[in-house]
Amino acid sequence: MTVAVVLVALLGSAWLLAVIEAWLTTGRLRPVAPLLAGLSHLGRESLLPRKPDRLFFETAPVLLLVVAVLGAAVLPLAPGLVIADLATGALFVNTALAYVLVALIMAGWGPNGAYAMIGGWRFLGQLIAYAMLIVMPITAVAMRAESLLTTTIVGSQEGLWNIVYQPLGFVLFFIAAMALAFRAPFDLPTAAGELAGGVDAEYTGVRLAVLRLARLVLVVTLAAATTVFYLGGWHGPLLPPWAWSLIKTLAVAVSMLLAGRYLPRIREADLMRWCWTLGIPLALLNIFIVGLLILVVP
Amino acid sequence: MYAQAFFVAVFGLAAIGFGVAVFRTSSMVRSALALLFSQTAVGCMFLAMQTEFLGVLQIMMMATEMSIMTIFMVMFMMDPGGLGGMDMSHQKRFSLGAGAIAASVAIAVALLADWGPVTAEAPDAAMQTRALGIELLGRSMLIFETAGVTILTAMIAATAVAIPVHTLADNGDKEASE
Amino acid sequence: MITVLIVALVTGAILFGVGVYGALSQTNLVMIMMGVELILAGALVNLVAFWRFLHPENYAGQMFVLVVMTVMALEMAVGFGVAIARFRARGSVEMEEAGDLKG
Repeated sequence: MTVAVVLVALLGSAWLLAVIEAWLTTGRLRPVAPLLAGLSHLGRESLLPRKPDRLFFETAPVLLLVVAVLGAAVLPLAPGLVIADLATGALFVNTALAYVLVALIMAGWGPNGAYAMIGGWRFLGQLIAYAMLIVMPITAVAMRAESLLTTTIVGSQEGLWNIVYQPLGFVLFFIAAMALAFRAPFDLPTAAGELAGGVDAEYTGVRLAVLRLARLVLVVTLAAATTVFYLGGWHGPLLPPWAWSLIKTLAVAVSMLLAGRYLPRIREADLMRWCWTLGIPLALLNIFIVGLLILVVP
Repeated sequence: MYAQAFFVAVFGLAAIGFGVAVFRTSSMVRSALALLFSQTAVGCMFLAMQTEFLGVLQIMMMATEMSIMTIFMVMFMMDPGGLGGMDMSHQKRFSLGAGAIAASVAIAVALLADWGPVTAEAPDAAMQTRALGIELLGRSMLIFETAGVTILTAMIAATAVAIPVHTLADNGDKEASE
Repeated sequence: MITVLIVALVTGAILFGVGVYGALSQTNLVMIMMGVELILAGALVNLVAFWRFLHPENYAGQMFVLVVMTVMALEMAVGFGVAIARFRARGSVEMEEAGDLKG
């Protein structure tokens, strides 16, 4: 039951996000368009490139979708509405999303195409840049909650949301989440202008539909994670808890997309340099500040 | 209990199967990813043995580690795609014998040793995480610190070994091109 | 309960054997490292099984697992550093060709 509700919520948010994205890009509100586009992919021919690594080529889109859903499985929508309230929930989100890299390497290597392969390896470099900026802010969040349980983390923010308590961590996590979801300006693996689609390039038909859906679900999962870790999860006045979760998740997801629309694509080397010379010291500072606050403020 | 034995056995078989696949495929990316899934299956075994934190940690760390291994395989192998059918092994019979002997000795020890009383109940997962944290920052702090310092040393050493040797001529070239 | 322990230990033993075979039979440095990783994975399985079924009250067991994981990461880092240096100097990391120290 819970599983069904969470899955419907995920898919629904992904659909809403697609509608909003199209609305922001074209200025027209067409609620059925994403469904039609998805259906039309199913009807199209699903081409197989020459001499592919068939196993990777077929597995990659499914793996991407599965890990995105798995990441969402430990995030609570409302009190009690969580698929698995693991004792290592905050770590598990990161564990599941580490396999985004594996899926992209598979998608890059599988089709036997130069652009796709460059895209796949680029994401490996991107991971080395962003990985620490996902883990270290989560550490600070878990420090405040004194638990890795996602429900306890939400509970710890009842009085004061983490975005106010540790704004530095929020900014770092938000940027790293965008890099993890490979949305613009961090869309190095797909890089429409220079790599002709990168990891997407060789996918057509049903497989492309799954890949696109997986990318949307990934954004929703990361937005939900940001909500749980920093925006107080289901807390909020008047409206029921699930509504607050949904509103916050969508707001974060849309702001991720919006931020991408107004920023130029970043270079791989620059991303790496800024993440390691600026991001990681700031993340350590964040952990230090939170530690001080926990000790000083009762 | 039977369920636990079943899951441990299934993930164990998966780990062994993927582990064997590592040395049987000639595609290097397949080989590295087979190792990744072998390690993931080991992590799942930890989960089946109710060691949640270590299981999740193992699954997380190996995803990154083995993916990095993938790119090194592709960089350093002469035939990364495995389409040329090169044989990259030597002393096969000896290695097979050594592996079989090592495994059978370890299995014999596992079967013949008297393991004493076995605990049925595992501590609660949240308690485990907490107790491990207290262990890390309490009794075992020095060991953990040593591990941390060792990581730092290895990072510096690996970087120092891996960066190219700059000769005077190289520097001149670089300055000229910049 | 002893069955689960035995199953885990046998799995660890076989992983160890596969790792030994790989480390001895492969000619490429990176492939040898993959064999070593499998050996360490076998050790990890045994450590966790011992902790869980013999001494669940003693968290030094879990601590040991963490140290082994660290060793795995270190082995990779240093190994790749050496591989890069050797590849730069000799153009390959085939261990058959690495007889420089042979008398």
